[in-house]
Amino acid sequence: MSSSATESATGSRWTSVAEGTGAAFLGIAETVGGMGVLFGRILVRLFALPPRLDYPELKRNLHKMAVKSLPIVVVTALFTGAIMVIQAAPLVKRVGAEGLLGWAAGFSTIREVAPLLTALMISGRVGANNTAELGTMVVTEQLDALRALAIDPVAFLIVPRFIGIIVTLLVMTLYADALALFGAAYTGEGLLQVDTRTFYNGLTGGQLYFGDVADGLIKSLVFGLVIALASCHFGLATKGGAPGVGRAVNATVVASAAGVFVLDYLVGFLLG
Amino acid sequence: MTEEEGHRPHEMGLTPPEPPGVVHDLGATAIDLFIGARELYSVFVRTLYYVVRGKRDKGAVLRQMFEIGNRSLFFVSITMGFIGMILLYQAGLQAKRVLPDFSMLGATYLELLVRDLAASLGALMLATRVGAGIAAEIGSMVVTEQVDALRMCAADPIDFLLVPRFLASMVMTTALIVWGAVIAFAAGAATAAIAFDVPLRTFCDMQLIDWGDLSTGLAKCVAYGAAIPVVSGYCGLSTFGGSEGVGWATTRAVVNSSLAIIILNAVISTAGLLIFGAK
Repeated sequence: MSSSATESATGSRWTSVAEGTGAAFLGIAETVGGMGVLFGRILVRLFALPPRLDYPELKRNLHKMAVKSLPIVVVTALFTGAIMVIQAAPLVKRVGAEGLLGWAAGFSTIREVAPLLTALMISGRVGANNTAELGTMVVTEQLDALRALAIDPVAFLIVPRFIGIIVTLLVMTLYADALALFGAAYTGEGLLQVDTRTFYNGLTGGQLYFGDVADGLIKSLVFGLVIALASCHFGLATKGGAPGVGRAVNATVVASAAGVFVLDYLVGFLLG
Repeated sequence: MTEEEGHRPHEMGLTPPEPPGVVHDLGATAIDLFIGARELYSVFVRTLYYVVRGKRDKGAVLRQMFEIGNRSLFFVSITMGFIGMILLYQAGLQAKRVLPDFSMLGATYLELLVRDLAASLGALMLATRVGAGIAAEIGSMVVTEQVDALRMCAADPIDFLLVPRFLASMVMTTALIVWGAVIAFAAGAATAAIAFDVPLRTFCDMQLIDWGDLSTGLAKCVAYGAAIPVVSGYCGLSTFGGSEGVGWATTRAVVNSSLAIIILNAVISTAGLLIFGAK
């Protein structure tokens, strides 16, 4: 009697675990599918002749996303450069090659850390903001109003934001690369007494190729794609009034961060 | 030309307000930053005060530990696994160009992981997940006037809302980062074995880790664990402007916690370098 009761209890627990796992996978599949469909709809507008998007809205979004995020990107990049030098310091001291400092810090900064941290900051600032804005529009039925006026919401709202986020991230990564190396050079001089000239020599001394910079930039393009799709998808899928906007923002931030890391690995592996 | 100049409005005594210049913008930003920093500091000090003197609500800390810790476990495991793979892959590529010798790869990777990367990257992940959650929850309480109701009951919202999250986050951030480091190391070991043919026995090499690395890493865990709830709680408590405001508060919480982590990282790493030296 009691054994059968416990058996059924454990049985139901296992069922609920299986149910939870299945629901989680279905949720992930739904998100990825939704983002794919949205991507298709954006591409259809972009490759129409002439491209169907709202240019004033694009300009407004570029200003809001790129110009306004410049301060946090500058701060992040400068500190990132400093951290990379501090982390490379023991390695350089151990080998006793100060000329290697620029290369050791620059290689990982340009290939990996600058695109990654810039993407995380932009996803937090621009992606989340974008979702909050779109979600509020959905909840207050402004998208339905656009449709009622025979204005295509995808061409009017989504395509400009999509392009805006991708361009923003690419340009910001370029800035971050340069500023991180700048910060790294001066940290090296202040903390490790490595002359900035030695640092820049190590950087340009032959072991770092244009391919490495391009690698980071390709990564930032892919990150921009994910952040843009995730933030637009969750914004458009907002349900349930005002609290729904908060939930959508949360979902965007988490999905973008996870997507950025997973794709970082895949792209890094593919580019080799 | 001269006629037009003669009719300029300011010469007629109708000076329009001058458009704000660069100096105006710079000053406004500086004042905003100063006020924000002062309020953040006040939230932090009040949190510390209530940690010592506040009333304890027994279940609250445990509930928050479950919310912050257990609920983030899956997310942290997945992201740290991928971080471990990509970091090792990059390190291997970097090592290949200078000296094609992978025997120290594991030891260097483990040292870097313990001293910095596990704590900082793990905390950045937690800042997005936990920080956004805290700001959204407290922000919607502010907007629906539940925080004002708390004040009416003579309960300080910092004591009631922020202190349990603060304590829970300090414990659970450290636990999650240790777990994340284990996952990242395992993922790195697998990548090293597959991509660079480094045997597991060579890879698991702890000779470079010393007390300096461990204490720097642990100091970072605790500092990030304290910073995330304080910064996000401050952003949540300063929510204004209805439901839309909750979205902005969440955004600010994520960005500001990430910035706080990066700045704390630079400060603690510098301190660690100066105290323990570069060996």
